[in-house]
Amino acid sequence: MLVRNPGGMIGLAILTIAVAVAVFGPLLFPTSPWRMVQRPFLPPLTMPGLPLGTDALGRDVMAGIIYGARVSLLVGLISTLASLAIGIPLGAVAGYFGGKIDDALMRFTEFFQTVPSFALAIVLVAIMQPSIVSIVAAIAIVSWPPVARLVRGEVLSLRTREYVQAAVVTGQTNWWIIWREILPNALSPVIVLASLMVATAILLESSLSFLGLGDPNLMSWGYMVGAGRTVIRQAWWITVFPGIAILVSVLALNLIGEGLNDALNPRLAKGGR
Amino acid sequence: MSKRNLLMSFAVLCMLSTAAAAEGPKAGGVVNAVIQPEPPSLMVGLVQNGPTQMVAGNIYEGLLRYSPKLDPLPGLAESWTVSEDGKTYTFKLVKGVTWHDGKPFTSADVLFSIDFLKQTHPRARGNLVQLDKVEAPDESTVVFTLKQPFGPFIGIFEVGSLPMIPKHIYEGTDFKTNPANNTPVGTGPFMFKEWQKGSFIRLVKNPNYHVKGKPNIDEIYWHVIPDAAARSVAYETGKVDVLPGGSVENFDVPRLSKLKNTCVTGAGWEFFSPHSWLWLNNRSGPTANKKFRQALMFAIDRNMAKDVVWNGLGKVATGPSGSAIKYYTSAVPKYDYDPAKAKALLKEAGYNGEKVRMLPLPYGETWQRWAEMVRQNLQDVGINVEMIATDVPGWNQKVSEWDYDIAFTYLYQYGDPALGVGRNYVSSQIAKGSPFNNVEGYSNPEIDKLFADGAVAFPDAAREEIYAKAQKILVEDVPVAWMLELQFPTITRCSVKNLVTTGIGVNDGFRDAWIEK
Amino acid sequence: MISFIAQRIAKAVIVLLALVVMNFFLIRMAPGDPALVMAGEAGAGDQLFVAQLREKFGLNQPLPVQLFLYVKGIVSLDLGFSFRQQMPVSKLILDRLPATLLLTGTAFAISLGFGILFGALAARFAGTWADTAITIAALIFYATPLFWVALMAILLFSVTMDWLPSFGYETVGAGYTGLAHVLDVAAHLILPATTIGLFFMATYARMTRASMLEVNRLDFVKTARAKGLSDNVIQRRHVLRNALLPVVTLAGLQAGTLVGGAVLTETVFAWPGIGRLMYEALLQRDYNLLLGVFVVCSAMVLAFNLITDLVYRSVDPRIEFAT
Repeated sequence: MLVRNPGGMIGLAILTIAVAVAVFGPLLFPTSPWRMVQRPFLPPLTMPGLPLGTDALGRDVMAGIIYGARVSLLVGLISTLASLAIGIPLGAVAGYFGGKIDDALMRFTEFFQTVPSFALAIVLVAIMQPSIVSIVAAIAIVSWPPVARLVRGEVLSLRTREYVQAAVVTGQTNWWIIWREILPNALSPVIVLASLMVATAILLESSLSFLGLGDPNLMSWGYMVGAGRTVIRQAWWITVFPGIAILVSVLALNLIGEGLNDALNPRLAKGGR
Repeated sequence: MSKRNLLMSFAVLCMLSTAAAAEGPKAGGVVNAVIQPEPPSLMVGLVQNGPTQMVAGNIYEGLLRYSPKLDPLPGLAESWTVSEDGKTYTFKLVKGVTWHDGKPFTSADVLFSIDFLKQTHPRARGNLVQLDKVEAPDESTVVFTLKQPFGPFIGIFEVGSLPMIPKHIYEGTDFKTNPANNTPVGTGPFMFKEWQKGSFIRLVKNPNYHVKGKPNIDEIYWHVIPDAAARSVAYETGKVDVLPGGSVENFDVPRLSKLKNTCVTGAGWEFFSPHSWLWLNNRSGPTANKKFRQALMFAIDRNMAKDVVWNGLGKVATGPSGSAIKYYTSAVPKYDYDPAKAKALLKEAGYNGEKVRMLPLPYGETWQRWAEMVRQNLQDVGINVEMIATDVPGWNQKVSEWDYDIAFTYLYQYGDPALGVGRNYVSSQIAKGSPFNNVEGYSNPEIDKLFADGAVAFPDAAREEIYAKAQKILVEDVPVAWMLELQFPTITRCSVKNLVTTGIGVNDGFRDAWIEK
Repeated sequence: MISFIAQRIAKAVIVLLALVVMNFFLIRMAPGDPALVMAGEAGAGDQLFVAQLREKFGLNQPLPVQLFLYVKGIVSLDLGFSFRQQMPVSKLILDRLPATLLLTGTAFAISLGFGILFGALAARFAGTWADTAITIAALIFYATPLFWVALMAILLFSVTMDWLPSFGYETVGAGYTGLAHVLDVAAHLILPATTIGLFFMATYARMTRASMLEVNRLDFVKTARAKGLSDNVIQRRHVLRNALLPVVTLAGLQAGTLVGGAVLTETVFAWPGIGRLMYEALLQRDYNLLLGVFVVCSAMVLAFNLITDLVYRSVDPRIEFAT
């Protein structure tokens, strides 16, 4: 399926590389990215073993990118899973039961969508004080509404299908129906959305770290851009390389999302999306 | 090292070239400076933030000003005498001074200001604790009578510590809600003109200033630019001419100082003498053990921090007192960088790998980098450090509530150990709710006595002896881990002359500055 | 129709009040309070000082009382008083709101205008290199972190080429009036507005392209072609108008959030807007100001949502109103 979509293949390839770097990188580069290894502000390619140069404290930028991959991808993945864990049940219940329950849940969802999401994320991190847990929680809390809406829409349309009617007639419980009959068929747009959400989560985390609200014990790409921001004039490489890393990862995820969309939604695929 | 030499030589070069081209001050011109962060108010009697003092120091005045050596200079007082027993201070005020709204400044204003500040200004409250009474025998004389001789007393009249407040505007009103707070009225060389919140503050020349021929400058604009990188760019692109100390990250200083027509100076902070250290919780955790604390002092590479994080600016601190503060002595135990010794002390202290929480100062990238460097130093000798992230209010709360093991901080010392040093080491200052008192919980009756005696000892030589003893004891006990005497360089166009001439630099320096066209 | 609007407004008010209550408690959960912040900045503070500040800020009253007073104020459109800045919150917000509206409005216009243009072009030349180039460019702009683009822009256009100013709303102290003033502000506006605009442009371009391609396959277009109408006419008159519906809907929904979302750009460019105001209020624990900004932003989102729904309805009468 994906072979027909070159963009999706490229995205998948890039993501695989990123995941490989995240998983195996620290094994091949055991020195912690926080270690001061050389003179500060060494330009890239001026010293063997330090292809991307060093930062304000003489730390290896390459090591930062490798260890940062782990943090950024993990944060993206876990916060998206958390968002899904909130949004899918909410949307499914709203779509299946309809009526007052649907109304109430949708009001609740709308409520969360009314507050500007980045502002709310900042406030939540400030309250919980910055740490990996608070960042993941904050991102999850501001990202779940679109999931709920999407799932609700899908469940609403699937609810009227014959096989669901059949299940009702044969006396299956509501939860069984939702779990076994409806959700599996509703999942394909959710998967597409999820891949885009991981991308957004990575951008959100890097924005929070840029503002200084990141976890200070974890080297992440956003943190590196933020840290290098004040010395961008004398050491452009400290901000450029992590920025590129973020760009490439988010791009890859977007390409995958589009590829998945083409593959899983064949009705639109003919239009050449 | 070379960066520092370059800086020093450049500064010297600038000074020499200015001396060579010594001409008289020229009148006129507009100066663009930056102020960071935006002050919450300019009424310095009520609000004593750093930025407030920096701008308002040019609007208001104190009775005295101070030279870089911290010798008193005339301010609103033209002369003063101290009685033989050190208990009576008589000030003769400058005559013919008017407030910005035209009303005359008299000794009644001084009396009112003392009353006002006792209610609103915590530092003034502390400074005036020995004051018995203050009287005004005539319109231009004020007499302070103390309960005991108090050596530091002559040093408390700086404009941010004891600003003169207009009685005719504030008497009988609720100070905090007086509408005049938004249009500050002082006697200083510049008058408040306009404040566009989020953008700039504008001050204009006081045409009736009591020092003839001053100020030379017509207007000052204080621009509010929240981003450090943007502030550097503003200077580079010529939009801003003065970068007061602390407005750009230290990493940018070498690059900016190489630009043409740029002069850098580390002076102008002698009165404040910012001193940085690590609060060490003396009450609980591994830091409660003196040997552990001493190990910390040996484990931290302060010279490298000075060179890498602070770009060679500043000095390694040897103890509780900065080297510019009165009665400083370097005859104290030394703690050079020695990881081996640190490890040995840790073993003696019985440290077993417990987690130690470290709180960096959330004041920008320089402090963040410093915290990371110290964490590295400590991890290298086997201490398990966890860095806790907070924003400024969170930091304030954690430190005030003693919820930390190690916390970065820096404080001003105000020229005299009785004014700025003692508060961090005496038992009476142990109280939750403030991040500036004896936060670490150190309690030593000998130190308490020494500081109590030192404040009121007479004459000077007696004080010197007392404080030398106190410093030795403190450095041996390591209640906090002293790090660096900080230097916040002021960067200006060389054409802005004579800006940093006092012990508080830019805060009241615009009075004497002039612009060379 | 009227009852629909009335119902929606009533619901919006309820949502807004619920938001106020939630944020009221949420903000106070952050460690520290404004009194501690002020004491901290003063570099000196004793118990009395902090206590005085707490009293002045009204923090000593029990929480439900504070909440009640605040909600009472909101109902009479009084957003409270910022004790830190010694000004009413509404004045602080109104002073800064126009700057944000100018910034986000311009960014919006840029992103929508150019987004639709490029999306239509990409759809027109679907499958060619032009299409690929536009799609890739859109993806890249969407994936790049906003703050990074802002920094690169300043580096390139302000410092290296010195074409454009790098901070602020206008050249302070220059005293421009009339046309000169407009031009001055415009010069300061270009970089920040374009930075934000690029990001959203990508979204609108992709959506326009997809939508146009989908509409192009529909029967009425085939009919128009059969009738012999020229391609240009078909694209402009028939396809574009129908294709733009989802784009406009999305734009309407995003318009509301733009107001609160400019925090990053305003910080990097020192643009005096309410995004930055909100962030500073958070760091200073200026509760009233922070709540006030949230209320204003949320109200705008609700208003824009309602307007979008009405526009959608009037354009496509087939849409049912699910209230």
